[in-house]
Amino acid sequence: MRLSRHYVIQLLLGTATLLLASILVFLYIKSSTDQTSRYTESRDLIRQMQQLNAQWDSEVLKARIALTHNYDPLVTPLTQITRIWEELRQHESYHAPKDLPGWQASLDAGQAAIQDKARLVDQFKSHNAVLRNSLAFLPTAENDIQAAFTRLDDEQRLPLQSVATDTYDLLLSSMEFAQVASDDRAAEILLGLNLLAVNKERLPADFHLPVEILSNHVALILREQPLVNTLLERIAAVPVAERLDELTTHLNQDQQAADLIDQKYHNYLLVFSTLLVALLLYLAIRLLRSFTVINRVNRALHTANASLEQRVEKRTRQLRDAQSELLDSARQAGMAEIATNVLHNVGNVLNSVNISADLVARKLRTSKALGLGKAMQLINEHPDDLGTYLREDEKGKLLPGYLNQLVEAIAVEQQGLTDELAQLSKSVDHIKDIVSTQQSYAGVSSVLEPLQVSALMDDALRMNSGALNRHHVTVVKEYADVPQIMADKHRLLLIMVNLISNAKYAMSNLTDRPRQITLSIQTVEDNILQISVKDEGEGIPAENMTRIFTHGFTTRKEGHGFGLHSCALAAIEMNGRLTAYSDGPGKGALFTLQIPLNDAAGPA
Amino acid sequence: MIRPLTRSPRPSPWALGLAVALGVGAALPAVAAPLDEPLKPLPPVPLLDAATVELGRQLFNEKRLSVNDSLSCASCHQLATGGGDDKPFSLGFDGKPVKLNTPTVFNASLNFKQFWDGRVDTLEAQIEQVVISPVEMGSDWKTVVDNLTAMPQYQAAFSQVYPDGVTAANVQNALATYERTLLTPNSRFDQYLLGNTDILTIEEKYGYQRFKEYGCIACHQGMNIGGNMFQKFGVMDDYFKGRTPAETDLGRYLVTHDEEDRNVFKVPSLRNVAVTAPYFHNASAKTLEEAVDVMFRFQLGRVPSAEDKDQIIKFLKTLTGQWAGKPL
Repeated sequence: MRLSRHYVIQLLLGTATLLLASILVFLYIKSSTDQTSRYTESRDLIRQMQQLNAQWDSEVLKARIALTHNYDPLVTPLTQITRIWEELRQHESYHAPKDLPGWQASLDAGQAAIQDKARLVDQFKSHNAVLRNSLAFLPTAENDIQAAFTRLDDEQRLPLQSVATDTYDLLLSSMEFAQVASDDRAAEILLGLNLLAVNKERLPADFHLPVEILSNHVALILREQPLVNTLLERIAAVPVAERLDELTTHLNQDQQAADLIDQKYHNYLLVFSTLLVALLLYLAIRLLRSFTVINRVNRALHTANASLEQRVEKRTRQLRDAQSELLDSARQAGMAEIATNVLHNVGNVLNSVNISADLVARKLRTSKALGLGKAMQLINEHPDDLGTYLREDEKGKLLPGYLNQLVEAIAVEQQGLTDELAQLSKSVDHIKDIVSTQQSYAGVSSVLEPLQVSALMDDALRMNSGALNRHHVTVVKEYADVPQIMADKHRLLLIMVNLISNAKYAMSNLTDRPRQITLSIQTVEDNILQISVKDEGEGIPAENMTRIFTHGFTTRKEGHGFGLHSCALAAIEMNGRLTAYSDGPGKGALFTLQIPLNDAAGPA
Repeated sequence: MIRPLTRSPRPSPWALGLAVALGVGAALPAVAAPLDEPLKPLPPVPLLDAATVELGRQLFNEKRLSVNDSLSCASCHQLATGGGDDKPFSLGFDGKPVKLNTPTVFNASLNFKQFWDGRVDTLEAQIEQVVISPVEMGSDWKTVVDNLTAMPQYQAAFSQVYPDGVTAANVQNALATYERTLLTPNSRFDQYLLGNTDILTIEEKYGYQRFKEYGCIACHQGMNIGGNMFQKFGVMDDYFKGRTPAETDLGRYLVTHDEEDRNVFKVPSLRNVAVTAPYFHNASAKTLEEAVDVMFRFQLGRVPSAEDKDQIIKFLKTLTGQWAGKPL
C-alpha cells in the first residue's frame, strides 16, 4: 500500500516536470521567432522604396524643367522599386493571421499605385520629351522667320511689320503658356496660330516653310503642355507614398500586437519557469533525502560486510587449524599403521616362537630320557647280580635292547630339539630384523643411497608377510636384472609397502579365485626404472580413476585416504610418477611406479 | 596611386597637386575626367556565373527551342552582324516572314522594356513569348523542356547550375543571363564620353552637337541612346498616312488598347545603328539616311541642312561598339 502510494507520487511528479518543460519549450518557440528583426527588415525595405519614390518624383520634376535630357534616372527607380517589392512580398513579415487579407490588400494597393505611377511616368516621358524639344526649338524657329524678314528690303518689310510682331507675340504667348497653361492663354495662342496661318498667305514663298514649322511646334506646345501638366498632377496624385506609409503603419501595428503577445508569452514563461524551478527544488530536496537514506543503508551494509569478513576469516582459520590437526592425526595414524604392521609381524613371529617353545617344552616333558631313569632304577636294584640279571632275568634280558632303543630315541629327540631351537632362534632373529628394519626406516631420511631394488622389494614383502600369509596371498616375483640404483630408500619402501598393502586389501573379499600379487621390476627405455604391483582384486571403477590419488579419497571403512596420496607425492618428490590402471570393477588393478634410473655404478 | 614623399603630417598643396596629377596621369594616360553628357557610356559587362553564361550560349544556338528544330535564337539574332537579322523580316519556323523587324539582341538588357511595343519588362519574359509565338519558334515550353531533358549534355549542364535541373524558368534564366553579357562596349563615341575626346573627328563632334541641337537627344539618350521611353511614331506629322495599314503599326495600342498609345513604340537604341539596317518596326527605312530623314520630318518637324544631316550620320556611325573583342 505504502509502496504503491510512493510510486504514484513519483509518477505524478515526473509527469508534472515533463508537462512544465514542454509548456516552456512551446512558449519559448512561440516567443522566440525573431519578429522584431523581420519587422525592421520589412520597414527598411519600405523606407528604401519611399526614398526611391521620392527620387523618382524629383527626377520627374527635373525632366519637367528640362534640367536633364537623360531619362535613365526615370527608369532606374522603378526597376529598383520592383525588385524591392518582390523582396517585400517574399518577406515573411506578417504575424497575425486574421489580418493577413488586410496586409495583402495593402500590398496590392501599393503595387497598383506603383503601376499607375509607372504608366503615368512613361506617358510623361513621351510627352515631356517632345514638349521640351519644341519649347527649346521655338526661339530658333522664330529667329528663322525674323531672319527671313531681315533679308527683305524695307519696302517689302514695312507692310509685313505687323506679321513679324504677331509672330513674336505668338512666341511670347507660347513661352508664357509653358509657364502658366491657362485656358485664356490657350485661346490666345490658338488665335495667334490662326493669324499666322492667315499671315502666311501674305508672306513670300520662302517664309512658308519656317512659318509652317513654327506653327507646328506651337501647335504641339499647345497640345502637349496641358497634357504634361495634367500628367504631372496625376503623377503627384498617385498615392504611392501614402500606400507605403500605410504598409509601414500596418507593420507597426502588427509589431505592437506581436510585442504584446510576446510580452504575454514572456510572462507565461516567467510563471511556468518559476513553477518548474520550484518543482525541481522540491525534487532536489527529495533526492538529497534519498541520498541520506542510501548512505545510511550503505554504511550499515558496509559494517555487516566487515563483520562477515571477520567471521569468514575466523572460520577459515579454524578450518586451517582443523586441517593441520587432521594432517597431524593422519600422520600419527600413518605412524600407528606402521607400528601396527610392525607389531603384527612381530606378533606373528612371536607366535611361531611360542609354538617352538611349546614344542620344546612338550618334547622335554615327553622325553625318552625318563625311560633311561627307569632303566637305571632296574640296574640299581641289582647292583650284585647285574650280570645275572642281565642274562637271566626276564626283564633284565630286555634291558640292553631297551637301552639301545632309548639311545636312538634320545638321539632323534635331541635332533628334534636342536631343530626346534634353531627355528626359535631364527624367529627371534626375524623379530630383531623386523624391529631393526622398522627402526632404520622410522627416521626421516631423504638421502640417496645405493639400493638393490629387488632386496628392497623383499623387505617390503617381509614387512607385510604376516598379513600376506594370513590372507593366503601368493606372491609372484618377476624381477628383471636391474642394476643397483641411487634412490631414496625410505620413500621407495613407503610406496612399495603401501602398494602391497593395498593389493592385499583389494583381494580381501576374493573367494572365487586364488589371491595373487605380481610384483615386477624392470627398466624401460634404459633410463627409467619401473616397479609395478598387480593384483587380482576388486579393481577400480572408471569414475574413481581420476580421484584415487587425491588426498582424503578412500574406499575402505577405516581408511584415511592418505596412502596413495602420499605415495603419489613421494613419487613426484623422486622425479617420478605413480599411475594406476584397471580394466574395471572386479578385474584387478595395476599400479606402476616409474622413477629415473640412476645407476649407482655409473654417472648419475 | 603614387604617394607624395613627404614627412610632414599635412602635405603641402603643391605636393598634393603633384600627387593628383601623377595619380590621374598614371590611371588615364590619354585624358581627363569622363564627360557629363545626356548620353552615357555602356556599363561594364556584368560578371555572371560562367557556367550559366555558357549554358545560355549553348541554348542561344539551340535549334531544338523551335518546334521543328529549324530555328535558334541565333538564327535571327546574328551576333556576327549586329545582333539582328540581315532580312527585313526574319523567317519563322514555318519559313514565313514575321510582321516586325528583328531588333538587335546587343545591349537589349539595357532596354527598359522588351519588344517594339514594350509588352514585357524582362528578357526572361521576352524569351518565354518568342519560343511559344506561333509565327516565330512555334513551340511550347513543355516540348522544349522535354527535348532538352532528352539530351544528356543539357541535363548535366543544367543540374550543374540549377538544383531543379531543366525547367522552363531555368532555360529562360540561362538565356537571359547570357544575353546580359551581350554588350558592345568600347565604341568610339563611348571612348569619347570616357574622356578620350581626340578619338572623334571634328565632323563627328559637330554631328553630336547637331544631334543634340535638333532634338534627337529628346528621345535617344541615356546609356543605351534610346530604349528608356515610349514615343509616338509621327509626333509632328502622320507617318502612316498613305501607307498600307498594318496591324503592327498600332504599336503599344495592341497592348493597352488606350487611344493614347496608338502608333506608340519603344524608342530603339541607336547603339550599333550603322550595322542594324533596315530600320523601324516595319523595316521601312533601308538606309541610315532614309531613317534620319524620316526622323527629321515626322518626329522633329525640322528641316536640316544637308551638311548637318551628313554630320549627324557621321556621328551615328561612331556608336558602333565591339563584341568578342572585334568591332561589329
